[in-house]
Amino acid sequence: MSGSNHQYAFFLGCIAPNRYPGIEAAAVRTSKNVGIDLLPLKGASCCPAPGAFGSIDLYVWYAMAARNLVLAEQMKMDIALICNGCYKSIWEVNHKLKHNDELRDGVNEVLKEIDMEYKGTADVWHLAELYYDPKIVGVKKLAESVRRPLTGSKVAVHYGCHLMKPAKERHFGNTETPMWMEELVAALGAEPVQYRNKMQCCGAGGGVRGYDLAHALDITNEKLTNMEEVGVDAVTEVCPFCQLQFDRGQLEIKEKFGTEHRIPVLHYNELLGLAQGMSPDELALDLHAVDVEPFLKKIL
Amino acid sequence: MAVKKDYKDQKLAEKLRDRKYYVSESNPEFTKDVEKLGQTAAHMCYQCGTCTGSCPSAPRSSYRIRLFMRKAVLGLEEEALTDPDLWLCTTCYSCTDRCPRDLAPTDAIMAMRNLAFRRDIVPRNFLQTVQLIYKTGHGVPNNDANRAARKRLGLEEEPETTHKYPEYLPGIRKILDHYRLKEHADRILAEGEKP
Repeated sequence: MSGSNHQYAFFLGCIAPNRYPGIEAAAVRTSKNVGIDLLPLKGASCCPAPGAFGSIDLYVWYAMAARNLVLAEQMKMDIALICNGCYKSIWEVNHKLKHNDELRDGVNEVLKEIDMEYKGTADVWHLAELYYDPKIVGVKKLAESVRRPLTGSKVAVHYGCHLMKPAKERHFGNTETPMWMEELVAALGAEPVQYRNKMQCCGAGGGVRGYDLAHALDITNEKLTNMEEVGVDAVTEVCPFCQLQFDRGQLEIKEKFGTEHRIPVLHYNELLGLAQGMSPDELALDLHAVDVEPFLKKIL
Repeated sequence: MAVKKDYKDQKLAEKLRDRKYYVSESNPEFTKDVEKLGQTAAHMCYQCGTCTGSCPSAPRSSYRIRLFMRKAVLGLEEEALTDPDLWLCTTCYSCTDRCPRDLAPTDAIMAMRNLAFRRDIVPRNFLQTVQLIYKTGHGVPNNDANRAARKRLGLEEEPETTHKYPEYLPGIRKILDHYRLKEHADRILAEGEKP
């Protein structure tokens, strides 16, 4: 079977492999179950973080992201990744370099110092969009891979910012009321629920989490409150940095503002892993700051 | 009786009150720099305020993206770059998606942050990320608790990145050194500056 699988160079980023390794383990296994092979992208670095790094020098951001792209070009493969922040760096720099000769020449001048050249031969995809794309996987095939439907659970979707926005540069269409991730959730048997201002940012991006934690958490708190109002058993996202902000953020919110939420936070790959029959141990769900147990009780 | 529209919070009101600006305060080059770095035609902004209305940071701070756009267009470099609110943008791009002039206020902010950094105006956390990437290749590096968890999951303790292949680090450091980024970050951190 694996001979006919779609193959991608797997760009890991930082937070998934180094804070929530269950997301990495889940991505490799769940994607294989629907016909995608994720192959190691040896020597990749931080994407680098678009907010923290791009804010101080965009030109270094271009060059560093280009180095990661060249590693995939050398494998003659497209990149698949699992983080919106990485998507902004890797997809967007690829896009800019493909369409801006001056920028590309500048980057290549620097890459020459390390015997590399950016050619623009690789494309970049978020695993979530590959799951949704019927030419690669599609909702139907995804639903067929489910061994343990998440029936009876209500799941809120957090799209995050840097996958779909800015819309005019991307290819996802409407960024005000998208529904494709809800389809991905429904395919697993869970009930996707709508809540107020669902497209709002998690609060962490742009270096704000590091710069002014209380400010970032205040935004997070608003989102969690909106989810709570409609009654959710969990929130799912496709960005480990959003996950960190929602998950650890709930402890920090309790500490700073005295508000307790207890909404389990699951990356879509973790959710898919559960639906495909992976155990909580195989996903290292115990590493999550907010106890996932109440959600597991609903579905197991 | 006419009621003056104002904020209850005195500090906020003071900061956001309309005021006069003079040509002598303006640096036209600043506008050009913002437009070039941000790749957006900021001078097309007609100050409708859709950006501020879309901004998750606006309701909880004195950060006003519309005012930053105004300052960019008027060349008010000093005002824009020394305002600590510059760093409260989460780069969510809601303003960019809703801008009726098809501008990218988010990228104008990124450009202004880059220009601030050139003048050594930058919060410490941004510099610490540079140091971590220089040292490990990662902005968020691995740690022992995580290595144990990875092992438990059947993953290798070090991911297939610069962590497992540190031989790639010299190349990364060469790129950062080309732009003298690490040197710049180290110097500012050593001087203990913070906006």
